[in-house]
Amino acid sequence: MSYYDVDAILTDAQKVPCTFELTVPGLGFIEGNMSGDMKQGSKVELPLWLGEMLALSQSLNTSSLVTLDTPAALAPRVLNALKADSRTVDLRALAPHFYNLGARILELFDEEEMIEVLSDTFKARAAVIADQAHNPRGALGEGADFMRGLDENERKLFRDAHDSAKAVRTWMTDIKRK
Amino acid sequence: MALPLPPGLTPPEIAFLCEMELVTVIPRQRLEGLELLGGSLPPLNPPHRTAMPLWLALLLKRQRRANILPPPWLSPHSLAAILEHETDHDDTFSPPPRLPPAPSSNALPFSAPFLSHATADAAPDALPYHWLELGEMLLEAAADDFEDPDNVRKLLRGLREVRMSKLRKRVEDLQAGGGVDMKGVGGMEVSEGRAFVTGVIDNLRRIGASLEQQRRDRDREETADSDDDDMSM
Repeated sequence: MSYYDVDAILTDAQKVPCTFELTVPGLGFIEGNMSGDMKQGSKVELPLWLGEMLALSQSLNTSSLVTLDTPAALAPRVLNALKADSRTVDLRALAPHFYNLGARILELFDEEEMIEVLSDTFKARAAVIADQAHNPRGALGEGADFMRGLDENERKLFRDAHDSAKAVRTWMTDIKRK
Repeated sequence: MALPLPPGLTPPEIAFLCEMELVTVIPRQRLEGLELLGGSLPPLNPPHRTAMPLWLALLLKRQRRANILPPPWLSPHSLAAILEHETDHDDTFSPPPRLPPAPSSNALPFSAPFLSHATADAAPDALPYHWLELGEMLLEAAADDFEDPDNVRKLLRGLREVRMSKLRKRVEDLQAGGGVDMKGVGGMEVSEGRAFVTGVIDNLRRIGASLEQQRRDRDREETADSDDDDMSM
């Protein structure tokens, strides 16, 4: 992902749950406690870029400042729903950059099962996306609920597949006009 | 990117390449021989068949100076047989035409467009690389040279639907590092499927990137360990 990639920036801005391992004076405003301290063990939602930095940075004493947790969009409950039937899950409601968030989280956590679930989900949904992209009426009719639940990567895939099918169709009507 | 075009060739570009294919033409008027960049064209004498590039054949056809003889695989009979093969075999495309043996041991084997897959003596039982675009262009410009153009058009549409849905179905058993067997897939179909297939592989790789990184690290450690062993010995 490049430095100027808007999708990467937006992925980094998604919130992840973090637990503070130390009491930090004067940081209570993150919790809504304007003048107090950040207590040890309090849970806060931080943007991914900040949480990652705080969790990975090693201060002078060996413990890190916060510990990261998997975000709600990748909770076991969601993964189970994806395993059961990936086509009915509204990924956009969970996270607009669902797969990017998953890839970033997988860089931090070592979870082979999550890789498998995400890959299978993507493959199963890609097949439906391809069908929708080649049939322009589907997006307006019964497929509308599914199409609304696509995450950003899937939307891009849909647009690419749709554009290439449209290019071939345009060429076919163009040769008739010659 | 500076060029707002998707990667790969666009359909008009593929059709342009297809116009280099040779087709068989029955001239209606005499024409002197032409020196073309792709080779010289013999003089046209009305009752004799001649092979010439598709673009020139289409030009002569539009000026009513020639009739185009459709290749044998564009007959309703052959197309129906190929369509049957496609629907019977769910996991493979119908095979491309067989290549002739290389002329001699040190010469390169021929490939399209130097093979005549679209002339009157082409193989009747296989779809060549440019089947879709050639069929569409011939049906458009020279529909009156076909015996049964409506039937041919219907069969071509059926073939296209069956093959595209196969290409889409392939995606479900794609792996992040795997490939797709594209044997027998035509130029226009590659152009239509490229964006989708590459998009799926890109995303699968992104999801599996950490697994790939681990594997690479492990490989590096193993080679480093063996290096250490070598050093101690």
